Amino acid sequence: MDPGLRTSASGMIAQQKMVDVIANNLANVNTTGFKRSRASFEDVLYETVQGPHTAGGDNIVGPMQIGHGVRLAAVNRIDGQGGPQVTNRPLDLAINGEGYFQVQMPDGSTAYTRDGSFTLSATGQLVTNDGNALVPNIVIPPDSTAITIGPDGTVSVTGGKTAQTVEVGKIELARFANSTGLINLGGNLFGETIASGDATVGQPEVDGFGSLLQGNLESSNVEVVQEMTDMIAAQRAYEINSRAISASEDMAKSINDLVQ
Amino acid sequence: MTLPAIVNTARTLSYYSTLQDITANNLANASSDGYKADLVTAHLTAGEQYPEVFQSINLTQADLRDTGRPLDVGLQGSGFTVVQTPDGERLTRGGSFALNQAGMLVDGQGNAVLGVAGPMVMPNARKITIDPDGTVTADGTVVGKLKLENVADPSTLRKEGNGQFSVTGGASTPAAPADAMVHQGTIEGSNVSALLGSVDMIMIQRAYAASVDALKAMDGVLDTISGEIGRV
Repeated sequence: MDPGLRTSASGMIAQQKMVDVIANNLANVNTTGFKRSRASFEDVLYETVQGPHTAGGDNIVGPMQIGHGVRLAAVNRIDGQGGPQVTNRPLDLAINGEGYFQVQMPDGSTAYTRDGSFTLSATGQLVTNDGNALVPNIVIPPDSTAITIGPDGTVSVTGGKTAQTVEVGKIELARFANSTGLINLGGNLFGETIASGDATVGQPEVDGFGSLLQGNLESSNVEVVQEMTDMIAAQRAYEINSRAISASEDMAKSINDLVQ
Repeated sequence: MTLPAIVNTARTLSYYSTLQDITANNLANASSDGYKADLVTAHLTAGEQYPEVFQSINLTQADLRDTGRPLDVGLQGSGFTVVQTPDGERLTRGGSFALNQAGMLVDGQGNAVLGVAGPMVMPNARKITIDPDGTVTADGTVVGKLKLENVADPSTLRKEGNGQFSVTGGASTPAAPADAMVHQGTIEGSNVSALLGSVDMIMIQRAYAASVDALKAMDGVLDTISGEIGRV
């Protein structure tokens, strides 16, 4: 079979993957704490069809190499900060800077998220929208009237008979040597991998951790204009690869027509 | 004489079909980071009966696209960054780097990206900045300087896939600052022009069709000779 056909097919598959990644970015343009991804491609093996040789005396003709297409090298998550979105809900938290909230999963493992839209469970525990508890556990007394979360993670409540302000816990954040190595678990959650390294836990505003913004959520860092232009480029590249397939096919057909 | 002409035309067909394969590969890599297009030309050199096929790599600069990822390193100029592969040092312009679990700067395949003084390790680095001259700073401490190399004779470059080049029969030398300026947070795209690629394909298709027609005409001549003149 004509190698050009497979080469162009790999080009079409690559552009399809590019559109898949862009489509997921666009679908999550309003997802709290979402980080956009970018597909990166690279060329694959080269076949040396003709070695270097001399021609016409001293002229050295270099070797001729034909490449065989393209492959998806990586889909890198781009961990740029998303803008804060004011919600004025006391249990909405945005991280300004580095760090992830730690979440206790039903199977006992810890997952990590930048989505700080917490709620209270029936027992007054701070949980995510999916009902998984924040680590370390923070319990809000039932008679509290106001909850204040400081930039350093201190959770204080006002309430009870005396209406005094009492500290009930401190939110901690986790950080990784290579945060782009975290795996997407869906549901705005990330999981630790061998590539990310182990989590380092610390307090907000200390040792390089970001600060917390109460009443705000971190919006998605997807930029629609950029995704749209990337999509147009992918579409055009897809078209040109499909045209290369028809050109190769047309050439093969004309040579086949020679034999009658 | 018709027979050598048929052989010549067959060579032409083979040339255009190779050209089509190479154009298809260029177009397939229209979105590959740091990809450099292959160029093929044919010249009739002195003393040769048939044109010789020459291949070269178009090393012109492609656009640097902003990605906002701190470990994306786009190069401006003719230089390359150097990665340590199991087969030795290789040059590349696809600058989508990452840190591995030990905090070492690596490329997409996990090969160490070399600094002037070897691989660069920055465990638990929080803020990495890379200056235009390639100096890598992690949390305010200089951890190394990207090794930037240049190749005096581009014809010694061989493509190895994965965006890597090897230098065969030549050597790379440290790049002068003007030859390689590092732009952090950008990626160099592919220098394939889809427009020129489609123009090339039309030209290839037409030339191929013309050669096929020539072959048919010569076949007709041979048919006449053997079928009619040869008959007594």
